[in-house]
Amino acid sequence: MEQKAKIILKNVTKTFGPTKALDSVTLSVMQGQSMALIGKNGAGKSTLISLLTNLDKPDSGEILVVDEDDNSEINQIGCVYQRSSLTPYLTAAENIAIGNFSKNRLGLINWAKVQTRAEDLLDEWGFAHIAKFQVSDLEPLEKKIVEICRVISTGPRVLILDEPTAGLDITSTELLFERMHSAHRRGVTSIYISHHLQEIFQVCDAVAVLRDGKLVEVNDISAHNIESLVSLMVGPEATKSKTVQQKDRSSHSENQKEILSVNGLTVESKLKSLDLKIFEGECIGVTGLDGSGHTQLLEVITGVTVPTSGNMKLKGATITPGNISESIEHGIGFCPEDRHFNGYVPALSVAENATMPIQKEFRNKFKLINGKARESSYNKLANAWSIKAWGPEQPIEELSGGNQQKVALARAVSSNPHLLVLNNPTSGVDVSAKDSIYKTIGDLLEKKQTVLLASSDISDLEICDRVLVFFDGEIVGEFEKPIQDAVIAAAVQGKS
Amino acid sequence: MSSVDTQKKKKKAIFLNKNFALLPILVVIFIAGSFINPAFLTVNNLLNNVLTTSAVLGVLVIGEAIILIGGFFDLSLQSIVGFGPMLLAVLVSPKTSELLDGNDGYALPGLVGFLIALAIIVAIGTFNGFMVAKLKLNAFIVTLAMLILIQGFTLGISGGQTYSGLPRYMTYLGDGQILGLPVQAIIFVVLFAAAYVFMKYTVSGRNIYAMGGNLNAAKAAGINVTRVTIGIFMTGAVFAMFSGLMLTGRIASVTANQGDGMIFTVFAASVIGGISLEGGRGNLIGAGIGVILLGVIQNILTLSNVPSFWINAAYGAIILGALLVGWVSSRNRTTTRSNKG
Repeated sequence: MEQKAKIILKNVTKTFGPTKALDSVTLSVMQGQSMALIGKNGAGKSTLISLLTNLDKPDSGEILVVDEDDNSEINQIGCVYQRSSLTPYLTAAENIAIGNFSKNRLGLINWAKVQTRAEDLLDEWGFAHIAKFQVSDLEPLEKKIVEICRVISTGPRVLILDEPTAGLDITSTELLFERMHSAHRRGVTSIYISHHLQEIFQVCDAVAVLRDGKLVEVNDISAHNIESLVSLMVGPEATKSKTVQQKDRSSHSENQKEILSVNGLTVESKLKSLDLKIFEGECIGVTGLDGSGHTQLLEVITGVTVPTSGNMKLKGATITPGNISESIEHGIGFCPEDRHFNGYVPALSVAENATMPIQKEFRNKFKLINGKARESSYNKLANAWSIKAWGPEQPIEELSGGNQQKVALARAVSSNPHLLVLNNPTSGVDVSAKDSIYKTIGDLLEKKQTVLLASSDISDLEICDRVLVFFDGEIVGEFEKPIQDAVIAAAVQGKS
Repeated sequence: MSSVDTQKKKKKAIFLNKNFALLPILVVIFIAGSFINPAFLTVNNLLNNVLTTSAVLGVLVIGEAIILIGGFFDLSLQSIVGFGPMLLAVLVSPKTSELLDGNDGYALPGLVGFLIALAIIVAIGTFNGFMVAKLKLNAFIVTLAMLILIQGFTLGISGGQTYSGLPRYMTYLGDGQILGLPVQAIIFVVLFAAAYVFMKYTVSGRNIYAMGGNLNAAKAAGINVTRVTIGIFMTGAVFAMFSGLMLTGRIASVTANQGDGMIFTVFAASVIGGISLEGGRGNLIGAGIGVILLGVIQNILTLSNVPSFWINAAYGAIILGALLVGWVSSRNRTTTRSNKG
């Protein structure tokens, strides 16, 4: 194929406050090429996408989209985002046409045309038959195809695909790749973003690696393997010792008490017959790519998800699965993944949020809640977690994100649990809040608190004694302290 | 030390802000009322007209406010206002043959009749809660259907007749007095205070707030949201029945359409009183002030000789105005909040 550049980036720089999100990036993507864009979280991928899709402007440098049949009406670069943007109760055809309906002379929607146009677009991907189905009835892959066709229908020159296989099973993924290959043969240019490095070897012909805002490598995919890409993503500094210091706690001895044991835990297509033991005072980290099963494990343990089979014992007592309040009573403290979804109640005070699971303990003999008892219980938690609020009565919605997260974490430990389960404990908080959270978890560990945490953030995993790496519903690696970024980054890619 | 002081100040500010945002409006209306008619600002008028005539609405508002704070709502409460007393009247009225006015009943003893009626009302509330909490059906459509059903039942069991000549225990709630004070006014004040304490200081009350504020967070904190939901619908139904009995007592009879249209005023009073329709926000003192505000307005409209055909229009306009004032004050609060950072 003739090599004509489609997108040219010249010295593109973008800064947010003190951080350089993109530092003088120069890159060309050729016509018909499938370029993989990879990098760790925070390497600058999302910034690059927002610049390419015109959501944001670079501070300096330029982005050119080469255009032969000059048609400036159309969006030149379209992005298929990881999160669905489809309207569930409309048909696939209508979703594709939305915002861009074909109309007749009276200004009314020409449904026949909407239908044929959608069928034509879907047909290129081999899915013409789904045009008249309601989106809520479609399979995940079919929904993804509808999203792709919607973006293509606005006529972009280049297609950005952000983690397109998220939520797809293996067969669907293979089928999507096959259809993407034929799209490339038709001359579609794409930029493919994924944490699953195996995938990019299947669909891409070139790869660009971002690290701390800098483009560290652009090459043919054939010049690399997973190991070389991981070391490019992680960089040479990863083996340096970390900043947060943990005192060395005695490693497990023979007579250590078993806190949690999990046997043959299975969740349909998410977890495959998992066995796990956690001992008193341990801090266990679980990690993996999205959908590899580590977060499902947490959901089962905390009673959010009912497992297909298997059993769990906490300090020897069997826990009935799928019952959150019983899990809390048995001694499991739980900080959910997304604090906005189920981590706190916005209208209530910080004190009430932090002590919600233990309100019964504040009742006086008239069964009324004693505000003083709640306040003193809250003050202890607020001290331990360094929550910054002007007092117990402050509504939590007035706090910064970092402090809200600390309240959600405090809620999890308020019941003095035997096992503290934290799902992404530092998601969406700034660096100082992060350090403060690590310090508090460190204090708890010193008091023999047992912790199970799930995260894909290496600095979260660095505080753990053991890290279990999940892939495709199974544990594929177990690592002891000190946890190294490069090792984990390679392990999450699976058994390659 | 100074931080403790500011903390106390802020606490106080929050308390005033949350509970008495309506007080300035109420004061203005009181002043206006005393100019319009000197009879307005008298103990007799305020106690026997404003407070007493607000009591029926007030008790119904307590039931609805608890459900609203929990994040749901119940339209069928107004049908229970009619059905509860009608059921009791039918159960305890003498059989036709013994009377001339034609009200047919089962002649049950008062307590037996009351317990049967109460059990049926509790069952209705529980059923509503079950449909919403367990079957996850939309509260609007479930309670709308229930409203139509119950109103139909009221008509059915009464044959469309008005039941009058009721026993004394059914009219006492209307004109009874305790220590020279009207019993309706006492019930109004006592029930609002009790409901406020329940919602503010009991675990169940706080669970209702948590559930209405963020259902998923409440679940994750181990609150049994199904039980709480069924509980609030049940409580709401019982309050509605009590409100109905008070209304019946006042007019000394039960009509087949008793309670019709009340639900609109209930929502108006709750929202004006600061109860959020989205759940989790507002409190019972605010709702109580909302009820009094509406009562005062209606009283002034009556005293100021507004032609009776125009009273409803004036009432609606004032409710809209109160909502706008509430919107402005809540917007001011959010801007100061974001300025604070």
